[in-house]
Amino acid sequence: MDIMQKLTILADGAKYDAACTSSGVGRAGGQGIGNTAAGGICHSFSADGRCISLLKVLMTNYCVYDCKYCPNRSGSDVPRTAFTPQELADLTIEFYRRNYIEGLFLSSGILKTPDYTTEQMIKALEFLRYKHNFWGYIHAKTIPGTSPDLVYRMGLLADRISVNIELPSEASLQKLAPNKTKQSILAPMAQIAGGVESGKELVRYKNAPRFAAAGQATQMIIGASPESDYQIIRLASGLYRRYSLRRVFYSAYIPAVEDTLLPSVDTKPPLLREHRLYQADFLMRQYHFDPEEILSEEMPNFNPYLDPKCNWAINNIERFPIDVNRAPHEELLRVPGIGPTSAGRIVTARKTGSLGLAELKRIGVVLKRAKYFIIAKDQPAGLRAGKESTVRALIDPGVFSFGTEQMSLFGPAGGRLALPGAKDVSSIAEAAEEAVLCLAANL
Amino acid sequence: MPGGKPLAEPCDVIYIYDGSFEGFLCCVHESVYSRELPQSIVPEGELEPTLFGQRRIETDSEKARKVYASIPAKISKEALGLVRNIFLSCLKDKELATLRFLLKGYRIGAGIMQMLGEADVAVLLKAERHVMHESHLLKGFIRFSDYDGFLAAAITPKNFVLPFIASHFIERFSGEKFMIYDKAHQAALVYRDRKYEIIRPEHIEFPQASETEEKYRELWKRFYDTIAIDARYNPKCRMSHMPKRYWENMTEVKELLKQ
Repeated sequence: MDIMQKLTILADGAKYDAACTSSGVGRAGGQGIGNTAAGGICHSFSADGRCISLLKVLMTNYCVYDCKYCPNRSGSDVPRTAFTPQELADLTIEFYRRNYIEGLFLSSGILKTPDYTTEQMIKALEFLRYKHNFWGYIHAKTIPGTSPDLVYRMGLLADRISVNIELPSEASLQKLAPNKTKQSILAPMAQIAGGVESGKELVRYKNAPRFAAAGQATQMIIGASPESDYQIIRLASGLYRRYSLRRVFYSAYIPAVEDTLLPSVDTKPPLLREHRLYQADFLMRQYHFDPEEILSEEMPNFNPYLDPKCNWAINNIERFPIDVNRAPHEELLRVPGIGPTSAGRIVTARKTGSLGLAELKRIGVVLKRAKYFIIAKDQPAGLRAGKESTVRALIDPGVFSFGTEQMSLFGPAGGRLALPGAKDVSSIAEAAEEAVLCLAANL
Repeated sequence: MPGGKPLAEPCDVIYIYDGSFEGFLCCVHESVYSRELPQSIVPEGELEPTLFGQRRIETDSEKARKVYASIPAKISKEALGLVRNIFLSCLKDKELATLRFLLKGYRIGAGIMQMLGEADVAVLLKAERHVMHESHLLKGFIRFSDYDGFLAAAITPKNFVLPFIASHFIERFSGEKFMIYDKAHQAALVYRDRKYEIIRPEHIEFPQASETEEKYRELWKRFYDTIAIDARYNPKCRMSHMPKRYWENMTEVKELLKQ
């Protein structure tokens, strides 16, 4: 099979992996070829709007496992192939020289055994690092069941390694990925966390990178199993704490396989829900929110119409307005329309004089949302707006771009907020207005 | 001196200068010593018909040196960095905007860099972020072709980004020979034998791509098309992350522009 066909099959098999970031480690070049940028670099954006940073491929799409949701499961009738380590290393280098990519994201189906497959992956990475002297970014995905010494060797070659948690609960894992167990996923995760922490002592070669210097990441599939959003963000929060993960990725389930255990193949992927999960994840990592502040047992799923931060703000309206000229940084971060960057700028700018709305706008605050929640120089008593105008300003304009099917996901059936689905109304404007009235009434 | 007499009064004159950074610094010198704020400062050749009087400001390296030294001395090193970056930006009327910032800075001192909500400061910071953002995007969007071991790429940025991306590509390709040609500003970053320079060529014609080069372009296009998930098709999102004006130089999307 020629390289074009192999690339097509092995990129297609890797496309559902969410992560394509190249962030987390800054390394100047100098020896050989390649460097890395701490913030990561996107090299392109595919037609679905996702960042392409790395050559994201499988080592092979042969697989002995039979995970129900996976297009490459052993029972699936798809063409199979594998890269040789050298083919893959050469392709990576040629793409890298042309600045198509920031590096390689290597994952794999399981050929023969987890150890055999991992050895093939390690060979490809060694080829890259030592034969081509490549010091760009490498993200490698470990395979559950791989022996610890191979995971360790992989961690010395890669900048980031990850273990997919796959599904948000053990029960779902048992049902949909019968060959994978919670233990086979968490054990390498714990090993990697330990390796990253003590990484400084683990450098074997003079110029070798530390053990997974960019830390570890994981991903889970959303919408193939019945967990609530609250369960998912609590799981994510626990993973961040216990395994010092850098990132948790959420991947909206796209039905590729007909199976009675799975949503039917004509189910639309829950993209709005995935979007809300990333927003909540961001609140936990960058805004110091606890998962319990974002959702609760009583309100276990995201409000489709409001992003989680706005949702928190209107449910805690008694904490506002806050004075932008006095409030501490962490309180500024809680205001809708003020992000980490503008909060930092406010703290700097107010040292030189009291800030009014015009100044805040120039600083980058989104006044459309923020003005309802703040006291500023020329707004000394806050805005005192009605509930309805406040809610109207906070409605996420993006919500309707996810399509009408999305709305029904959050319909009243699941004990969720009883909001109108776009199905029930004739226009988007009407849906938005109904949502406003409904949310305001709930305040 | 905060609250002191303004250093400059608005006046009905346009400064014309040679377009160089030194020349611009001499305009600052002129403004400060004539205690006047011109209507506009324009590089020669770019002046549109106007009713205002014009004054040609000669470039004098001694005056330029003095003004240059005055910025870190009277304001701060950061202010000098900002002014230099703005000069490479595409901010409309960047010369006058920078002059206003400097006049205010001379009065206020280092504290001006913290006045992020002040219009004269915010406009420069915004333009600087634009330069940095475009430089960051291009670190990813630049596409090289391999011409017999020499890597060459063309770009058409709004800002003069070459000085901001040079060190990144030199680190990345330290053992290679490469060139990034900025068609919009008629300049090229050339790196070979572990040394780099920015040259000002009239025109650069790229050679015909080899068969191997074509093969990798095809492989890359195939990867690009394969990695997208049909069920998530979202061209608006793609466009907001990767604005169309960059596509003409990008192997994988160039042809989409024709459709």
